[in-house]
Amino acid sequence: MTTKLLFTISILFFTTVIFAQNTISGKVVDEKGKPVPGANIYIDGTYDGATSSETGEFSFETTAEGNQFIVVSFLLYETFKKEIDVANYKDQTVKLRENVNALDAVVITAGTLESGDKARVSVLKPLDIVTTAGSAGNIIAALQTLPGTQTVGEDGRLFVRGGEASETQTFVDGLRVAQPYGATTNNLPTRSRFSPFLFSGIAFSTGGYSAEYGEALSSVLLLNTQDEPDQNKTDIALMTVGLGVGNTQKWKKSSFSINTNYINLAPYQAVIPQNVDWNNPYQSLGGEAVYRYHFERGIFKLYAAFDSEKFDLNQKNVNFTDPIRTDLNNNNFYLNGSYKGDFGTGWQLTTGISYGYSKNKIKYDINDVDTNENAAQLKLKLRKNISNYFKLSFGADYFITKFNENFKDNVSIDVANGYDSNIAAFYTEGDILFSKNLAMKVGARLSNNSLLDETNIAPRASIAYKVSKTSQFSFAYGDFSQTPVVDYIKYSKYHQFESEKAQHYILNYQFTRPGQTFRAEAYYKDYSNLVQYDTRDIAYNSVFNNNGSGYAKGLDLFWRDSNLLKHLEYWVSYSYIDSERQYKNFPTMATPNFVANHSLSIVTKYFITDWKSQIGFTNSYSSGRPYNDPNQTQFMNGKTKSYNSLSFNWAYLLTTQKILYFSVSNVLGTQNVFGYDYAKTPDANGIYNRQAVTPTADRFFFVGFFWTISDNKNENQLKNL
Amino acid sequence: MKRIITLIALFIVAISAAQTQFEQGMGKAFGLWKEGKNSEASAMFERIASAEKTSWLPNYYVAMVNTTAAFSEKDPTKIDLMLTKAQDAIDVEMIKDQSNSELYVIQALLYTAYVVADPMTNAPKYSSKIMEAYAKAKTLNPNNPRAVFGEADYQLGGAKWTGVDTKPLCAQVDKAIELFATFKPETPFSPKWGLDRALETQKSCKK
Repeated sequence: MTTKLLFTISILFFTTVIFAQNTISGKVVDEKGKPVPGANIYIDGTYDGATSSETGEFSFETTAEGNQFIVVSFLLYETFKKEIDVANYKDQTVKLRENVNALDAVVITAGTLESGDKARVSVLKPLDIVTTAGSAGNIIAALQTLPGTQTVGEDGRLFVRGGEASETQTFVDGLRVAQPYGATTNNLPTRSRFSPFLFSGIAFSTGGYSAEYGEALSSVLLLNTQDEPDQNKTDIALMTVGLGVGNTQKWKKSSFSINTNYINLAPYQAVIPQNVDWNNPYQSLGGEAVYRYHFERGIFKLYAAFDSEKFDLNQKNVNFTDPIRTDLNNNNFYLNGSYKGDFGTGWQLTTGISYGYSKNKIKYDINDVDTNENAAQLKLKLRKNISNYFKLSFGADYFITKFNENFKDNVSIDVANGYDSNIAAFYTEGDILFSKNLAMKVGARLSNNSLLDETNIAPRASIAYKVSKTSQFSFAYGDFSQTPVVDYIKYSKYHQFESEKAQHYILNYQFTRPGQTFRAEAYYKDYSNLVQYDTRDIAYNSVFNNNGSGYAKGLDLFWRDSNLLKHLEYWVSYSYIDSERQYKNFPTMATPNFVANHSLSIVTKYFITDWKSQIGFTNSYSSGRPYNDPNQTQFMNGKTKSYNSLSFNWAYLLTTQKILYFSVSNVLGTQNVFGYDYAKTPDANGIYNRQAVTPTADRFFFVGFFWTISDNKNENQLKNL
Repeated sequence: MKRIITLIALFIVAISAAQTQFEQGMGKAFGLWKEGKNSEASAMFERIASAEKTSWLPNYYVAMVNTTAAFSEKDPTKIDLMLTKAQDAIDVEMIKDQSNSELYVIQALLYTAYVVADPMTNAPKYSSKIMEAYAKAKTLNPNNPRAVFGEADYQLGGAKWTGVDTKPLCAQVDKAIELFATFKPETPFSPKWGLDRALETQKSCKK
């Protein structure tokens, strides 16, 4: 019996140890037939396997029997899995397909400057928005250090490649923001309503963008709110310009962040000499909140922002002996609800609704101007990953805008103007990856505008080719259309207006290496259908037509480097532009007053560990801008002197969670002139007098103390500055 | 009776044979890792993971091998590939078990590798995630010396810049060293690393 037992045991032992062994062998190659070393080859569910050699060859023995799955995995390639008969798998060649989702795959970059977590090549890092000297936490000011933008100091909005500020649309989580800027008046710069605090990604397209976005002639600015805040925390800010409090709460599947600010510029205006006379300083009370809920396969976000602003000032006006008073009150509300999630196999759904409300009460001299705008958007977008090589998206948008304006001169005129506009749009777009080196995007957008009674179809296409590990070329083409701005269409009668149109052609070269990015982009933009009118100012009795046209062409260069010196980051942007238009009431083709032919920005940031400090300088230069001098016969013949501003900031960490921040703009006190306002009528000698348009103050300075209270003692508000 | 004994004996043989296979495999993988053959070691752990779906250790070591290798790698593309591989391995185990203290420690270490690779970009992005992962690891097992040490070590690493008080952190390092002394790994292959590094940190604390 004992022998029998021993026999059984030994049999069993043998079965495990020398059970029929099969040799599996072969070679792993890539699509071009080149050997792939270092791939992991194994029989799924067993220990049996090997790593491919330098020549891509492998050989191992397995005790598995019959049909099994062989797995070949290597990160750069798609994992290969195939059912085989282990007895008959010798000297086989396994061809791995490259993983097109791998990090070094080509990305279409024509026109797009990205920042954020998901961006493959970040031109701006998330922190940059707030640590760029001169930006003072204003997203727009930071973007103005990028190529393709114009610094228009008396306006503050984004002017892109010869386009008016209104030609740029802002989107939060894919939904349009109808009123992205704070309220302003004559020659007082505005700023973005959005604090950079709640956004994790920014994509700024200076042209040739996707068919997903419409109603923008020049540019789109896409802001994405964070999916997930870091932690529970409270932020407190004490500033020379006001107070701020923020709080974030995180739960298992959801989170809530709120930020409130009270800004009062009275102390600043008292210290720094002002070029205007303030009756009441600029004040604003605002707040924004985000609620996020994570589902199994999706995320819901609700974003709401409210702000109320007011100021009252007297501005000199060349047409009057006494300064003119402007008293402005603005209330703004924005709500945005969106859902993004996956369903089925390879489907992605993005849907949302946004609503913006803006109410302005402006007293200008003796006139009262009250405006109300209600704007909403509904959006639905579907995307299907048909394969790793082809993705199809399609969707629909519906925009509703209601605008009303009441104008009273408190003597005789009391009129109301307004418009209702509904735009329905459909679009579809295909993303094709021919290989890791060649990608293409083709799409079209179809839109119908009820106010203009017109239907437009706009094709878009872009292609990118990677020539080497570090370099690639992209080309983009697109047709873009946009409803004329409110100043015109509030006088719309009988569908008299048509959409303004632009065509973009963009050629981009990009070079990237760790710590270094270089971009060069040449573009040509062809404008048509621009609105023209025949009066000095836009008025109810102006005769409008859509016969205007124009062009913009230029070259944008960008260089960013963090390798030169340790702890030093810098970037340089240069833009050359040549642009002319015949629009508005221009008698001939001329360069508009917001276009400077040359712009140069240099941004530096230096971290001094021993001082626990980050110090930054930004220098912005632009060549002179044209202005029209009615004393001269030639239209738009004048040119201002060039503009220069050097800004400085210093963040000092008192302790990890307490930061002292100091910034000053235009350190050198350069007397900048943005342009000239000429009198509407000549004086006794037949001369039109003029007045320079200058900043409200030559310098802006800011001191703030920022305190974060959280469990994680490393967290601070450096990123909010 | 004899038949029962036979069956039991067979059963034991079968089990011990299976254990041997796991031990052999793991032993071989550790051998490769020790020799510095990181990708081979990672591949071996990956194969073991495919066969031993019930053990979290093979995937843990796939993550460990790639994460530690990423610390000494210079090429950002390779770092990304390694850490993506490590993250995939952690994700597989995290889905199965969200209350394993060691998985949060390795997750924190992986984020730390991103920070080390590019501090300016990644420190703001990952710092709080790192702290959160260590906090979670400590909640799940307050006596996990790697969690206690890792949390203190990460903050000490940034102390020069953040100006945080190092005294309480150094006290945590001392506490971690005590915990290392009493720590008993559950199996021969369970994580037991970290003491050497903690002793080094303790030395620099005393300077």
